[in-house]
Amino acid sequence: MEGVDGNIGVIGAGIGAGLAAIGAGMGIGRLTASAVESIARQPEATGDIRGAMILMAAFIEGVALFGEVVCLLAVFV
Amino acid sequence: MILRKLFIFNILLVAFVGSVFADDEGEKKEFNAAETILHHVQNTHDWHLTDYYGTDESGKKVKKSVAIHFPWFFYSSKTGFEFFGSTHAMHEDGRFVAYHEHPKALAAGMSIPEDYHGHGDLPEETFEADHFILDLSPSKAVVHMILVGIALMLIFIPIARAYKKNEGKAPKGMQSFFEPLIMFVRDDIVKTYLPEKAVNKYLPYLLTLFFFIWFSNLFGLMPLSSNIMGNIAVTGALAIMTFIIVQVNGTKDYWTHIFAMPGVPKGMLFLLTPIEIISLFVKPIALMIRLFANISAGHFMILSLICLIFILGKGGESVGGALGIMPISIAFTIAIFCLEMVVAIIQAYIFTLLTSVFLGEAMESHDDHH
Repeated sequence: MEGVDGNIGVIGAGIGAGLAAIGAGMGIGRLTASAVESIARQPEATGDIRGAMILMAAFIEGVALFGEVVCLLAVFV
Repeated sequence: MILRKLFIFNILLVAFVGSVFADDEGEKKEFNAAETILHHVQNTHDWHLTDYYGTDESGKKVKKSVAIHFPWFFYSSKTGFEFFGSTHAMHEDGRFVAYHEHPKALAAGMSIPEDYHGHGDLPEETFEADHFILDLSPSKAVVHMILVGIALMLIFIPIARAYKKNEGKAPKGMQSFFEPLIMFVRDDIVKTYLPEKAVNKYLPYLLTLFFFIWFSNLFGLMPLSSNIMGNIAVTGALAIMTFIIVQVNGTKDYWTHIFAMPGVPKGMLFLLTPIEIISLFVKPIALMIRLFANISAGHFMILSLICLIFILGKGGESVGGALGIMPISIAFTIAIFCLEMVVAIIQAYIFTLLTSVFLGEAMESHDDHH
């Protein structure tokens, strides 16, 4: 029975890690798409837009990494 | 000067004696990728350099490891500060393995059975101390952080001197290599987010933060080193420093916006204030986890790709499998490695950027729009 429990935990962690990656991918994808579009419209604002983009990407990534760390804990602890 | 250098070198030698000790696990074991990877990213009390197969006194084939052991340092509420040299120093009384595995027990004043020499587990209750013991011994991450600190000093003190010496002239040597980065941190991070009057006050800290994180990450990518920023205690300490600096510099406006957001109905404050207070703590926690998870993930990726060779090679049984996967594994490892070099500086940038954003937010006064 112990083995079964462990396996279910690992499956859950795997699915969770995947979902977190999907979320972050969608978020950063949309963010980057808009940022590139804005740069194309207004090339003189490239520097500002890039800075804002990296900042926001870091926030999105942070949320995804919370998820990944929880998944890691599910596997190892 | 030379004498002082020699003295320091001597202390290092005495404290960090390398040792070679045998491990009884010479028999073939099934390769466990998860175990290997975890062993490589863990923070330990010794700097494990390599393993090799040798023979012990009876001619049996055993796995031996070469490692540098760090000194042990404890505070015990009964006996005060206790200092033990590395395990090698303990070898003479025949108890070095015991010291190596249970130094905490010795700090607690426990006695190790005379006949105990091996790696076998002693009963747990032997080591239950009846008083408070604080483990202050440096671990691998601590020692490596000190190494990074020394590297930073060796690089940046001459640069600082050079700025004084050729003031107004074109930069020379190392100075010209680092000047764009220093300028980048100053102009694109600190000056953009911090109020004008605070730039010179916090620039040294933020520059140190940037270069320390960057150098640590690069150091972690070198063979035989440890991933310093892949240790949550290290990133946690950096995040706590950010947290303290931000709170100490919080203006009246900053605290008003947390506890009683202006322009919001009184009823809403019951909802808003707890959220603001939680966000106060979530920010540094996110900083901590972002750096930790990014660097750990890179190390996990590289180690997993290397482990593929051993998994498909079945521990030396299937040479074809190992040879087949080897080119793919090496190519991917090099690709990930290049990515990690970029991640190393991006994470340093993001940590510094967010620290200055939070700091700038706390120092800002909102007189203009309320």
